[in-house]
Amino acid sequence: MKELEKGVSIRIRLMAGLFIVAFLLIGLRAFELQVMQEQEWDELAERQHQKTIPLTPQRGTIFDCNGEELAVSVDVDSIYAEPRRIADKTLASERLSKALNTSSKSLQAKFARNSNFVWLKRQVNPRQSEQVRSLDLEGIGSIKEHRRFYPNSSLAAHLVGFTGLDPKGLEGIELAYDKVILGRGGYLVMERDALGRGMVSGDPHVEGATPGHDLYLTVDKNLQYIAERELTKGIKEAQAKSGTVIAIEPSTGRVLAMASYPEYNPNAINRHKPNDWRNRAICDTFEPGSTFKIFLMAAALNEAVLSTDQLFYCENGSYRVGGKIVHDHKPYKYLTPAQIIKYSSNIGSAKIGKLLERETYYKYISDFGFGRKTGIDLPGETIGLVRTPDKWFEIDLAAISFGQGISVTPLQLASATAAIANEGYLMEPFVVERVIDGHGHAVLKKQPKVIRKVISRDVAHLITRMMERTTEEGGTATNAKVPGYRVAGKTGTAQKVDPITGSYSSDKRVASFVGFAPVESPRIVVLVVVDEPQKGIYGGLTAAPIFSNIVSQAMQYLKVAPNQPLPKNEALPPLRQTTVKVSEPIRYPQNFDGEESKAGPRMPNFHGLSYRQVLEQMARLDLNVSFSGHGRVIEQSPAPGVAIPYGAKIWVRMMPPS
Amino acid sequence: MFDRRLVTSFNWAFFLLVIIVSLVGIANLYSATSSWSAIYLRQLYWLGIGIVIVTVVCLIDYRHLEYLSLPFYGCSILLLIAVLLFGKTSMGATRWISLGGFNIQPSEIMKIVIIIILARYFSENAHFLGFTLRELFVPGLILCVPALLIMKQPDLGTAILVLFIGGTMALFSGIRRVTMFVLAIFGMFTAIGGWFLLHDYQKRRIMTFLNPERDPLGAGYHIIQSKIAVGSGGLTGLGFMKGTQSQLSFLPERHTDFAFSVFAEEWGFLGCLILLLLYLLIVVWGLNIAMRAGDRFGMYLALGVSAMLFWHIVVNLGMVIGLLPVVGVPLPLFSYGGTSMITTMIGVGLLLNVSMRRFMF
Repeated sequence: MKELEKGVSIRIRLMAGLFIVAFLLIGLRAFELQVMQEQEWDELAERQHQKTIPLTPQRGTIFDCNGEELAVSVDVDSIYAEPRRIADKTLASERLSKALNTSSKSLQAKFARNSNFVWLKRQVNPRQSEQVRSLDLEGIGSIKEHRRFYPNSSLAAHLVGFTGLDPKGLEGIELAYDKVILGRGGYLVMERDALGRGMVSGDPHVEGATPGHDLYLTVDKNLQYIAERELTKGIKEAQAKSGTVIAIEPSTGRVLAMASYPEYNPNAINRHKPNDWRNRAICDTFEPGSTFKIFLMAAALNEAVLSTDQLFYCENGSYRVGGKIVHDHKPYKYLTPAQIIKYSSNIGSAKIGKLLERETYYKYISDFGFGRKTGIDLPGETIGLVRTPDKWFEIDLAAISFGQGISVTPLQLASATAAIANEGYLMEPFVVERVIDGHGHAVLKKQPKVIRKVISRDVAHLITRMMERTTEEGGTATNAKVPGYRVAGKTGTAQKVDPITGSYSSDKRVASFVGFAPVESPRIVVLVVVDEPQKGIYGGLTAAPIFSNIVSQAMQYLKVAPNQPLPKNEALPPLRQTTVKVSEPIRYPQNFDGEESKAGPRMPNFHGLSYRQVLEQMARLDLNVSFSGHGRVIEQSPAPGVAIPYGAKIWVRMMPPS
Repeated sequence: MFDRRLVTSFNWAFFLLVIIVSLVGIANLYSATSSWSAIYLRQLYWLGIGIVIVTVVCLIDYRHLEYLSLPFYGCSILLLIAVLLFGKTSMGATRWISLGGFNIQPSEIMKIVIIIILARYFSENAHFLGFTLRELFVPGLILCVPALLIMKQPDLGTAILVLFIGGTMALFSGIRRVTMFVLAIFGMFTAIGGWFLLHDYQKRRIMTFLNPERDPLGAGYHIIQSKIAVGSGGLTGLGFMKGTQSQLSFLPERHTDFAFSVFAEEWGFLGCLILLLLYLLIVVWGLNIAMRAGDRFGMYLALGVSAMLFWHIVVNLGMVIGLLPVVGVPLPLFSYGGTSMITTMIGVGLLLNVSMRRFMF
């Protein structure tokens, strides 16, 4: 039996070995599942036990060139329900309907849905959210979402654009840079079990949200404010329909301001007609009229088809071309090219156009950027209408020479003028300077881009000189003068085509002025377009003063030292309030239901404050206040929280503390 | 009659090991089911009964079982026949008979009885040269009659386990190479022929095992959910009571056959490794008891019990981690159920019995 016993012991060891191998296999398999493939199984697990609800992404902030906020994302609460967790649905809906200001019937309908999750009301105001929280209902919760808010109300609204609730950019920079500025919204993640029931433990949480990139614009909030204020004022004085102002830095193409009238409040877009949302500076086209003569003259001088002392006979104000008669607004006999610009002679221009010939003229028109996109980083740019020279009749060449029979956008006109100010180099206009990611790194930094050299430096200087003379005594643009500075510019008054008759309207005009300053080294090109003015229909009367007002303030704001003697009895106009009407400190939009938040600052509560404390606060708001008495404030006007009407008298009454 | 040496030579360490694993199992049941039932309390009560059984089994000298083996076997066969005739049917299978308020499962009793009777047969008949085919006829008959009866219930899992246990014991006692070859061929044909005898659900399980994604919401659901549970546990697990698969009811049968999935999800690979080592320790210890047994009968007895525990563990874990098809085999000491607890504890009692009487010659 000894052999067998020995065999037994070997067999038992062998069997133990088999046992170990089997366990090893199981262990290896567990290692494969749990360590090597963990991620895959994890994802499978998550996919089946988590329910996700997409959230509104956060958009980046839009700043002006000085870091002032133009568009911000603010946190707002959205209220949701987990119907399966609500014990008493009737009671809950009744109590919630008061807090959310909705009918309890519609709430009950939402609760009745056989789902784990339902939005009750998105983006409610803080008061409503607080009320809901205080109800402390089981199965009702709130989550932070983001809502777009424009702290400056209508300021730069056409440029910045606005977003929908979803919140996609719908207009302006918000649309053009939507992909860049839009963060990832992430998801509200909720646990659920195999039967689809929401889990009682484990509150919903947000995953995968990232903020969007921030934008820094070339636009200066203060210049923009000046442009808008002066445009609005000028349009009201001229009783015009609409208008546009563009300000460009000629050496770079940076857009410093871009204003359109009528304005709208992007915080409450529904209260305005879609027509008012349009950025007229790039979307509208008009016949430029006489402003166009500078490009004709630039082309003619650059091609050397005339000399600067050549005289042109201006036919005493009436000239027959191609069966039609061209008029000047005053009869002239012999004019030099400079005088043709200064007095804005149509007949002289038509003769120069004839000298230049259509093909060459067309080439320059194209080279100045007309009839094509400027390349600005904004959506909805139009190209205007420039017919090819083979379709020009004799009268067309004449008309185009003085800016009729051709249509351009305001931006094309401003950009082409900037080329003259920039010694002949046409720059690509742009509005977004930098894109900054969440870590402060620049994702994009725009460099100025030369599109082409259109005319020589000398010709550019000659044209500038001619444009300067329009503002001198006897010129068409004396109203454009800016005390203390040399400015160059050109007026334009174009007849509008009546859409009904198809011919030029007798009373509808577009008055414009385009120019730059200072002449020695241009810092700013400003174009003013006033559509259908009723009073003072000429560009020299309506648009030129607006130009003058804007440029004089801009020169001071840009700290350009005046180098011209000031007219007698006229002091340098005081720099008006250029710090912009800032809204109250940004916390939440005042109202989410489309009520327009009042532009302008709100009156702070001064009660109990000292003289110095009041002054500090008012200085911050850049407002003047009058005091009576001394001690502490006991009475004030306007009342705390009230929007301060423009020009309102602000006073406080003080008494010594008893 | 009572020998003092019995107490001193009682294998306390092994007993403690079994109790520890049982307690881990109960804690795991608590995690898996406490949200909807107090199953863990009932399992605790079964553990109490199990300890009583261990004590009772230890008190009777295992050598008496040698003479009792035939009557046991006969009675068990009769019970299996009785099940087929008057058994209680539930969920399409007839596995239980009522004996005055008690529900007993004769197929479970058979697992123990087959160990005892084969231990007697092999200890009396094994020889140096190994069994020939003809010599295997008797033990084959002893094994196949109950296996077929169990398969008829139908209870494929138990039938296979009975065959595995018997097969392991036969293999151990020695089979000639030629015989082994013939048996392998025969087994293959039986397997192919048996396929057509299988019930639809059994075929489906095997098909599904081969390709679980074939039917992810039906038959494949168990395997996929179990693999998700085990896999998402990762290295260190999701933590006690924190397994999403089990807590959120995605895992089916998580208190019985898939109890290990819950453990794997919540304790991760490291937890699994420790538990696997504990189980390995139990079965290898069982083999050690067999090696040091006082007589051949005791050796075969311990060997059979070790094989029984081993096959239960391997088939269950293999199923849970997707290495083997889904067959309803509980994990000893871990899955909820009185029957499994009693069978396991009888086995543990037998091991302790053999172990404490190794010096009694």
